[in-house]
Amino acid sequence: MTRFTINGKAIEVDVEEDTPLLWVIRDEIGLTGTKFGCGVGMCGACTVHVGGRATRSCVTPVSAVDGAEITTIEGLSAEGNHPVQTAWRDLKVPQCGYCQSGQIMQAAALLQDIPEPSDDDIDAVMTGNLCRCMTYSRIRDAVREAATAMKEERSNG
Amino acid sequence: MIKRIFTGGVALAALGIAGFAIYAWHPAIDPVATPPADSFAPAQIEQGRILAAAGYCATCHTAADGAPYAGNYPMKTDFGTIYSTNITPDRDTGIGAWSEEAFERAMREGLDRSGAHLFPALPFDHFTKMSDEDISALYAYIMSSVPAVAQEHRDNDLPFPLDQRFLQAGWKMLFFDEGRYEPDPAKSDEWNRGAYLVEGVTHCGACHTPRNALGAEETDEMYAGAAIDDWIAPPLTAANPSGVAWTSSAFFDYLKTGSSRYHGGASGPMAPVVHAGLRELPDSDLHAIAVYLGDMVGAPEEDPATNPAVIKSLEAGIPRQDYRADQGERLYATACASCHYNSQQIAAGRPDLGINSAMRLDDPTNLIHVMLEGVKADQGMEGVVMPAFGSTMSDEQIAAIAAYLRSTRTDKAPWADLEQKVADIRALGAAAH
Amino acid sequence: MAKLKLPPRGEATAELTRRGFLISMTAAGAAFGFPRAGLAAMDPATPNGVPATPAGNVYEPSLWYSIDGDGKVNVNIIRAEMGQHVGTAIARILADELEVAWEDVRITHVDSAEKWGLMVTGGSWSVWQSWPIYRQAGAAGRTALIEAAAAKWGVDASECEAREGKITSGDNAITYAELVSEGISRSFTEDELKALPLKPVSDLRLVGKEVTALDIANKTTGKTIYGIDAKIDGMVYAAPLLPPTRLGSSVTNVDDSAAQSVKGYVQTLTLDDPSGTVPGWVMVIGETFMAAQRAAEKVKVTWAAGPTADVTEAQIQDHGRELIANPDVGSILDTGDTNTAPVFESAADVLEAEYTTSTVLHFQMEPLNATVFQNADGVWEIHTGNQWQSLILPTLQAALGVEADKIVMRTYMLGGGFGRRLNGDYAVPVALASKALGGKPVKMVMMRPEDVLFDSPRSASVQQLKMAFDAEGTVIGMEHHATAGWPTEVMIPGFMPKGINDEPYDPFAIAGADHWYSVGAQKVRAISNDLANATFRPGWLRSVGPGWTNFAVESFMDEAAHKLGRDPLEFRLSLFTAEGRNAGSAPNAIGGAKRQAAVVKRAAELAGWGEDLPADTGIGIATSFGQERDMPTWVACAARVKVNRETGEVTVEKLHLVTDAGIVVDPDGALAQTQGAALWGLSMALYEGTEIEAGNVRDTNLDTYTPLRMIDTPEMEVEFIDSAEVPVGLGEPATTVVAPAIGNAIYNAVGVRLRSLPMTPEKLRAALAS
Repeated sequence: MTRFTINGKAIEVDVEEDTPLLWVIRDEIGLTGTKFGCGVGMCGACTVHVGGRATRSCVTPVSAVDGAEITTIEGLSAEGNHPVQTAWRDLKVPQCGYCQSGQIMQAAALLQDIPEPSDDDIDAVMTGNLCRCMTYSRIRDAVREAATAMKEERSNG
Repeated sequence: MIKRIFTGGVALAALGIAGFAIYAWHPAIDPVATPPADSFAPAQIEQGRILAAAGYCATCHTAADGAPYAGNYPMKTDFGTIYSTNITPDRDTGIGAWSEEAFERAMREGLDRSGAHLFPALPFDHFTKMSDEDISALYAYIMSSVPAVAQEHRDNDLPFPLDQRFLQAGWKMLFFDEGRYEPDPAKSDEWNRGAYLVEGVTHCGACHTPRNALGAEETDEMYAGAAIDDWIAPPLTAANPSGVAWTSSAFFDYLKTGSSRYHGGASGPMAPVVHAGLRELPDSDLHAIAVYLGDMVGAPEEDPATNPAVIKSLEAGIPRQDYRADQGERLYATACASCHYNSQQIAAGRPDLGINSAMRLDDPTNLIHVMLEGVKADQGMEGVVMPAFGSTMSDEQIAAIAAYLRSTRTDKAPWADLEQKVADIRALGAAAH
Repeated sequence: MAKLKLPPRGEATAELTRRGFLISMTAAGAAFGFPRAGLAAMDPATPNGVPATPAGNVYEPSLWYSIDGDGKVNVNIIRAEMGQHVGTAIARILADELEVAWEDVRITHVDSAEKWGLMVTGGSWSVWQSWPIYRQAGAAGRTALIEAAAAKWGVDASECEAREGKITSGDNAITYAELVSEGISRSFTEDELKALPLKPVSDLRLVGKEVTALDIANKTTGKTIYGIDAKIDGMVYAAPLLPPTRLGSSVTNVDDSAAQSVKGYVQTLTLDDPSGTVPGWVMVIGETFMAAQRAAEKVKVTWAAGPTADVTEAQIQDHGRELIANPDVGSILDTGDTNTAPVFESAADVLEAEYTTSTVLHFQMEPLNATVFQNADGVWEIHTGNQWQSLILPTLQAALGVEADKIVMRTYMLGGGFGRRLNGDYAVPVALASKALGGKPVKMVMMRPEDVLFDSPRSASVQQLKMAFDAEGTVIGMEHHATAGWPTEVMIPGFMPKGINDEPYDPFAIAGADHWYSVGAQKVRAISNDLANATFRPGWLRSVGPGWTNFAVESFMDEAAHKLGRDPLEFRLSLFTAEGRNAGSAPNAIGGAKRQAAVVKRAAELAGWGEDLPADTGIGIATSFGQERDMPTWVACAARVKVNRETGEVTVEKLHLVTDAGIVVDPDGALAQTQGAALWGLSMALYEGTEIEAGNVRDTNLDTYTPLRMIDTPEMEVEFIDSAEVPVGLGEPATTVVAPAIGNAIYNAVGVRLRSLPMTPEKLRAALAS
């Protein structure tokens, strides 16, 4: 039995302990915004937050998150208005959209640790997230826009 | 967590058997009625609870999925497997019939109630330094608060003659000094408090001090680092290879939270030491331990931002356009950098791989363990996990990443036979399942 | 599909138009007539994919849309949404002509049904084909509403104006909502339709302007429903075990004894496939996804391997060279004067070169998946994302042994298409598994290695080009011999047109070689590589053939220019004479080669062509007409690269792209598509490429297959030529120009010519060393 919270809700799942967290989130809990891409932690489509940090859920055994707090794209903000999400819509980043949950979760974590990222910072942190539609230019611009919005939020708050 | 074997028995051939028999013999202490829980003061019980945690007694006295303190946790050794004992207050299979005197004798002298020698898998060489008050408190806690569980002790899997308990007396004769901690008057009270805890109940040296051929701690190499449970317990001295020297403040953060910004997290056997143990201690005690350990390392508190190792590691982390040229660098860029990359400075929660001891020890064991097995929420920084790449990366790929990091982030010599080492550690994990 | 010997657009359009209006009259009120539609994902703007229920009276001027009593317009989309925001692009064409506010527009991606006609999304055709149909449909609705208002007020229709869902005339005003609520039933004859007035391009209010794509918001909140998210009550999961070869393998033994201990394991099925799509497949069934996966690891299958079990990429390529060496094979395209032999015999000088490209994977982000079951009405429901429903439905019928009316494909969003989902073969094993289980819902999600092994990859290719010059150095003849696996031949051979020697050819595998340069006698020979076709299923991959043909043509043009000592830009412009067959024709190719000359000139200018550059830095140019001469999208790229001579690494510093696609319906989408297409081109130029090894692709996941990522993304400058011509495709053209531009830039930087894709550091180092 593994217990954790997901998007603020307490969850208890009874699956084999090496089951990847991704499939627990998708199949057991039924939150399908988190996507399966490569299964080896190299495309980032499955990125969620564990303890506030971006984590590739396809290579994370569910036993590892016992007691942890998990946030998925569905829970990043109540109304879908996290500054990163807003920037993504403003700049019309998504094409097919399949990788974008992971991109957004990764970008949100990036801005938490590195609030004013340089191009190198964005390259280093976001290179692990593959986008086959190749929306990279817009992702880069949207990360910058979100950084600016969050900075203003901070100075106003 | 102690699993190393202390098999002194073989040294005893030189001793006169008869004289030795007298030396080795100890009387049994009569069984007593289990003291009722309300015979202990709540404050004493609470103190005992904290000490039991600080000594992480449950870690070794609890089997996987077993009841707390009911024993049978297997401690694998080069010589065989020893199973820990049931120390719940069960009268028949635990220590419910033990008087406080018997308990204290076990802690101080390594003898069970019947007078038989305990294997020094129980670190009585450390516990002997504890105060009467603390040992009483431990007894009070176990007798009053640990649920009694009937569970027979599994026979140890040790070959003859190592299974002969009386031979342990010889080991004690050679290596064991009974006696309470003696404060050093030249040091502060805080230092002495830290030393008392570290040398005694928290028994840090049991893992971090190398042992001689007979499994006794090398007194002239205190805290010089040692292999333990297929991991490496790094040195707690100036010889620690971390890029940023450990200081009291870093030790405090680490012992309190399981991680410290400029060091690796508490993984492997160290994880429960922190998360199931030391952090129960009051901050004053953690400070005291940190002061003592910091003094042992002897490094001044300096701004890590200007540390050359930090600067080198940060520079090496700047993404490079031709990252594909080296397999390790490419895999790092795709699978690792999103969490481990640091920008102008090292951020808390983004463990920088150039400066921690795992990357800088002569042995890559710890790094390989973490890459293969990941870090669970109750390890390292609490509530944060690292994925386990063992299921998805080959030995060659894990080795390539390790080699890439070692060569770009440190000025240490390359690790030899990395791929084989990965295979060996992977096999250990598979065997454990 | 246009060039696929389907009717050219004029005819295709007429058919769709006729269908749209005829069917709407016979199926009144059926616009939302899909039972259980809620299980699919038809409206990408609603959280559960379910289209809104229309309010009150509904007026359906055409099959393609309806207007409800609240004035909300629902536009039916038969194209698959895979990132191109196609529903938005099409709906805005209609909304513009209909004169409604964008806020009142919804879209519904419809399920497969006969009434929709051919359902395919590819070839960058969607907007091009939809443009006249949806404009006409919009005009019909607007006309009907105006007529109704005019009748109501007793005024002449010409005195009424429609704007933003409202009709006004003098002091009179009435909304579409009110008119529809009062009831409208106006229908149009075909002649009436043809006579309907369309708005002049200058009056278009939504086309060419920024509007918010309807599918984007859900893609930022995780609410978009892809095929992989399909959920049917009571479904079981299937994990496939793939045979050693794509074709020709058969199962000799299945031992599932070790799987019996897996919790949730159900059974193992050896598929019996009357359609021949997935020979030798075994499906391991589990109650959960993980149960099926865990059990699959323990099921032991032995196969008798098919004949291609030892085939290598080198064998395929060598076979291609043998084919080219045989003058009697292949199909000769109609390129005007194809009699090149005498020209080459009399030539003063000849240039020859061979170009090769490696096998490339789709690696779309969403692994292949499908969910299939038989519903209560006995209809087989196929839940998946697909680009060409009309292609796979007959195959699924064969697999299931049912008629067309007993099968329907439900629509989901696609987590990437790029051509992989044109081939719906991945639905077949799931249908077979469900059939074997009596129609029980079965869901298959392929793990990535299986997805890759089952890919329909872009075939490796060999091309040999020759150019003849007279004594003055004038180009007097050209030959282009190209061989590769042919997607159309293996997937739908009946669609192949015939060359002038009456041999069929795959237009997708040769388009691009029939370029718009005037080179005198010109022979283009397309040869199917039968060894490739037997070893794997060659696929259509973003831009398909021009991805390799144009690498050859545009590299070769540079080689020719350098041989003649001429500037590569000037040399190209001199061949874009726009004469004869290259003069272009109405409606799609007005201007012909002149428009291609304009884009390449502009790209060179933007890049600073001719200016001094630092050491080991070079600019290369390349141009193409997209994919098809019938529907040219004129595009050019100027790439600026820096070469590290020591490591062989090529850094692309900047890409300049200029496109003339006629009217740009969706400017932001056009930019996104062009950026994406160009980066695909870059990825395949430098980073992507695998090899066939022992009958299968060598690289099956991202640990060794290394597509372009954020850090590899260069600065891009994208420009569109202002145009009032017919809008043409944008999803693929830019893919075709990047690799040759980079190759040419490398040559200009360090003087070595790379004739093989991908252009890896190893190849560059070797070239520099020799």
